[in-house]
Amino acid sequence: MAFLELHNVSKGYGPPSHRYEVLRDVNLTIEENEFVAVIGFSGSGKSTLVSLLAGLEQPDAGEVRMKGKVVTEPGPQRGIMFQNYSLLPWLSVYQNIEIAVKQVFPEMKKPQRREYIQQYIDMVTLTNSEWKLPAELSGGMRQRLSLARTLAMKPEVLILDEPLSALDALTRAVLQDEIIRIWEEDKRTVVMITNDVDEAALMADRIVPLTPGPSATLERAFPVTLDRPRDRTTLNFNPDFKKLRNAVSTFMMDLNEEAKSLRVETTYKLPDLEPADLSKIG
Amino acid sequence: MLKNLKLALLKAIDLTALGFLEPYVRLAYGEEPEKQLRKIGQFTLIPLLVILAGLAVWGVLISPMIKTKSGELPSPGVVASAAGSLHQFSVREGNKEKAYVATGEDRSAWLADVEAELEAIGPEVEAADKAVQSARADEAESKSERIAPLQARVDELKDTMKAERAAKQTALKEHAAELPAGDNPQRAAYLGELAGLEKWVELQEAEIDKIEDRIKLIRDEKDAAVMAALAQQTAAAEREQYLKKMAEQLGEDSREARVADGQAKLDDAKAKFFSAEGAAAYNAARKVISAEERLAKTEESTYAKPATLYFQIQRSILCVFSGFFIGSAIAIPIGVLCGLSSTFMGAMTPFIALFKPVSPIVWLPIALIVASALIPDPDKHWLTQWMWELPLIGQYKINPAFLASAVTVALCSLWATMVNTALGVASVDKDHLNVAKVLRLGFWSRLFKIVLPSSLPLVFAGLRISLGVGWMVLIAAELLSSSEGIGKFVWDQFNNGASDSFAKMMVVVFIVGAIGLLLDRIMVVFQRLVSFEGSIAAV
Repeated sequence: MAFLELHNVSKGYGPPSHRYEVLRDVNLTIEENEFVAVIGFSGSGKSTLVSLLAGLEQPDAGEVRMKGKVVTEPGPQRGIMFQNYSLLPWLSVYQNIEIAVKQVFPEMKKPQRREYIQQYIDMVTLTNSEWKLPAELSGGMRQRLSLARTLAMKPEVLILDEPLSALDALTRAVLQDEIIRIWEEDKRTVVMITNDVDEAALMADRIVPLTPGPSATLERAFPVTLDRPRDRTTLNFNPDFKKLRNAVSTFMMDLNEEAKSLRVETTYKLPDLEPADLSKIG
Repeated sequence: MLKNLKLALLKAIDLTALGFLEPYVRLAYGEEPEKQLRKIGQFTLIPLLVILAGLAVWGVLISPMIKTKSGELPSPGVVASAAGSLHQFSVREGNKEKAYVATGEDRSAWLADVEAELEAIGPEVEAADKAVQSARADEAESKSERIAPLQARVDELKDTMKAERAAKQTALKEHAAELPAGDNPQRAAYLGELAGLEKWVELQEAEIDKIEDRIKLIRDEKDAAVMAALAQQTAAAEREQYLKKMAEQLGEDSREARVADGQAKLDDAKAKFFSAEGAAAYNAARKVISAEERLAKTEESTYAKPATLYFQIQRSILCVFSGFFIGSAIAIPIGVLCGLSSTFMGAMTPFIALFKPVSPIVWLPIALIVASALIPDPDKHWLTQWMWELPLIGQYKINPAFLASAVTVALCSLWATMVNTALGVASVDKDHLNVAKVLRLGFWSRLFKIVLPSSLPLVFAGLRISLGVGWMVLIAAELLSSSEGIGKFVWDQFNNGASDSFAKMMVVVFIVGAIGLLLDRIMVVFQRLVSFEGSIAAV
């Protein structure tokens, strides 16, 4: 049985009279411990998909199921790492993790909890920044803190909403390696939303492109058969990687073309008017 | 170590928004001296120059221009000396208070000092009296010198006018006898002549009046030397009076002396009681009891100190904070509810819209009536009695007028906090609420861990506005309710009409301004402490 499943899910916004349908009949099945990358153009409904998976929003039609049970509300077993960090700016690094840990593991004793939190701070290499506020951290450090907070909840599914899109290329590479390292150490189901084909190919077991919105849906999936651990320096010369990247890119570009051709171009008939030459009158 | 101090200083300056101090710290550490000096010039020297220019305009241009029944608008110098005399008054009252309770060696040593001073002041007072007399004499002399020629001119004008008028009148009367009867040109001409005479008399009188007005002006002129001598005389007399009172307070009127006296009377009464026999013993016993009671009262008595300006300032600050806390205690919970529930907000909006614009002048009488009805007799009511017994605030004798002023402050100031709290709670970042949802925080955790911390900067921005409004309202409220405080001080001075009342009122202008500034700074610090990156409320 599938671990996490989207079954004929549709979601739209706005009043019924002119409803904007973001997702239509989306089907996705994710196995346990699988790393799935959902890739799509901006505005194709990726964030809506995340909200549905997390349970922050309910689908208009269809169902989101986890281990066979319908998801009706958000919860810590589906740890979500938000696109814009969502750190609480008045709490320090330590406190930001603590608030999550306290809530998810209320029975944990204080010294034990301190050790547990420290372990996650060390894991994302934020050691010695425990008492800094998010405002005093760099973008990459904030993202790592956000990751640590999500991981500390010990979620069964990790939902990463464009986790690295706001970072510069170098920090991005470092964090990609870090996420893979953590995932390999402690196998878990991961759904990552991204707009970067290379990133998806480097990290995921399977790449699922989201057709451009409106009414986006999930098309065929591309399995990534590259051996792990994948080395980013040699990967560029790997023929399988090149083939996969080409296939996904071409598919995405075609989708874009298709979307363009599908779009109904409304042309307005313009009235045939000419400006009057006032200098010749009178 | 030194570098840490520098960082701490710069941080403190930033926190308190006292940016003009920053170049001094940097200069002390030798950091870009030229740039720092330029900044000092820009943010310290220029403002100082503007202040000095303002004082000059006030003293030289505005003060002499505004003349009132109570004298000129006081110049900066006069205001400063009024402030000095207010300070002196409170220092002296403080001394009297201490003198009353002084005991033993201290008291006798102090008494000796005061008596020595009192002896020394005698000649000073006399000299001041003499100085006033001689200044008055000089003034009279110089004035009469200036008036004499004018008076002579008036007398001369009057004499010539009277003589000429009499001559002309006689001539006209004689002419009348010669007039032919009937309506003819001669009679018309006669009428003209008589009217001409009266016109001439009027003109002459106007001329005389003009000179007499000038004489009056000279008489009314205030002579600077006399004023100075009078001020010195007043100061010397006040000092003498103060020393006399001190001598009494330290001598026969001191508590120690009175207690000794009471003790002697008690001993006497006891002796009489022990020796009394029969029915007389009853009366003697009663006297013992009453002597005991009187002694106990004397032992606890203190000097009945009149309200000094410092006391009034402290009481005003206590009052504004009481009102501010009452108002905040109402405004913050309601604001939070408004922010959480749009239904509640909708229900509250009519009340907020209706009561927000109501002036303190309307609230105060209502609050005063209610407070007076609830506490008809503050000397007996349990609430006031309880508050008078409290440490620290007991001495301020909270009464219905105080409570009414505080409630008025609360009613006028709570709106800013309420509206800002509602806005802050309603505009919590959606991402933060999503975090709460994912963590499945309960209502109270969500409120205290996410919603309130996130809206605190706006709440404090509201509190800051509220405190500022409250301080302004308070002065008016005290003035109307006669609650002992700065407002009442102004009102008393207005009704008092002494020569320095005007200047004392001007002193209050600066005190009220300075305290308002201080309160605002305190709130700025709080606001900065609860602010975080990206919070809406910037200072």
